[in-house]
Amino acid sequence: MSLLNDLFDRPLDEGYALAAARRERSGGDDRTGSSWLLLIGLLGVALVFTVAATQARRTAGVLSAERESLMSRITERDARTEELESQIAAMQDELSAIESAQLARTAEGATLQEELEDMQAAAGAGAVAGPGIVVTVEDAPSEAPTTEDGAVDYGRVLDVDLQRVVNGLWAAGAEAVAVNGQRVTGLTAIRSANDVVLVNYRPLRPPYEVVALGDPRTLPSRFVDGPGGTWLQAISGAHDIRFDIRSEEELTVPASGGSTLRHAVPEGSS
Amino acid sequence: MIPAIGLLLGILAGLLIDVEIPLSLQPYLPIAVVAALDAVFGGLRALLDGIFDDKVFVVSFVANVLIAAFIVFLGDQLGVGAQLSTAVIVVLGIRLFTNVAAIRRHIFNA
Repeated sequence: MSLLNDLFDRPLDEGYALAAARRERSGGDDRTGSSWLLLIGLLGVALVFTVAATQARRTAGVLSAERESLMSRITERDARTEELESQIAAMQDELSAIESAQLARTAEGATLQEELEDMQAAAGAGAVAGPGIVVTVEDAPSEAPTTEDGAVDYGRVLDVDLQRVVNGLWAAGAEAVAVNGQRVTGLTAIRSANDVVLVNYRPLRPPYEVVALGDPRTLPSRFVDGPGGTWLQAISGAHDIRFDIRSEEELTVPASGGSTLRHAVPEGSS
Repeated sequence: MIPAIGLLLGILAGLLIDVEIPLSLQPYLPIAVVAALDAVFGGLRALLDGIFDDKVFVVSFVANVLIAAFIVFLGDQLGVGAQLSTAVIVVLGIRLFTNVAAIRRHIFNA
């Protein structure tokens, strides 16, 4: 502790006291004024401060420029992805048009065509339209209590909540489901990465609109009374999460982008 | 008069030279700033105490900056650079606060 005590007791450079004592002894020669030495010293001080300030500003500029360039790259890639997805959709449309034209030639083909359309609707490979319900789930208003460190933000809609809503819709008899325009198929994952909910590995932004097609008479009540509705009631009561369920006569659910057929191949046949 | 000219020249030089500090020297800049601050407030207190000496001021400034930078450099070489810069900041910070408190007492009598 003596070191720290020493530090507190004598913060001033001892040189000053020594120099003063020396002057006292030699008598007179009061050098408390200004000299060229002082000029050089203060020049050095000012130089250090200015260089540090300019350096700090430059570093901040570089950092924000890097951030900007990263952000612009992200938006660029996002736009590219969207463009490619719309290309895929257009090509799939073309493909199915050719397919149906070929199948429509024969009676056998026509029945096959109907069967194919049913299967595509079920598998999510084709867009479907019809009556259904829209469940809108939104984060709690910003005044809702949130933890300070942001580790667990209870006012947020989590991937688990959306999973329960979607599963509740299936249980209530929904025939096709989409979240914010992302078709939910048997291969869809609803998960979160860094507080962002991903559906089909695409990041979504709240509010989440879950569109479900199904029997307009039974679907709403079965959903509200089922596990999905119960869960929504629970989280809206506990965490202020807002939700809304409305029926609509005419809804469309888009096709899922790019469903690949995966199948096993016997060994040695390839 | 001369101190003001010195400060002005220093600021102008810093703005005009506009050197890019090499990346390897950048960690020493904050240390140099704190060491310079310590020298400045020490000098100011000595001035108010009536024992200011320009030679002591200049030597203590240069020595403070160099020694602080050297300690941090040594720490970097030994792999404890961050801890040693903390030590330097703590020691100089304590001196700064006590000196500023003394200056405050001189000026405001409180």
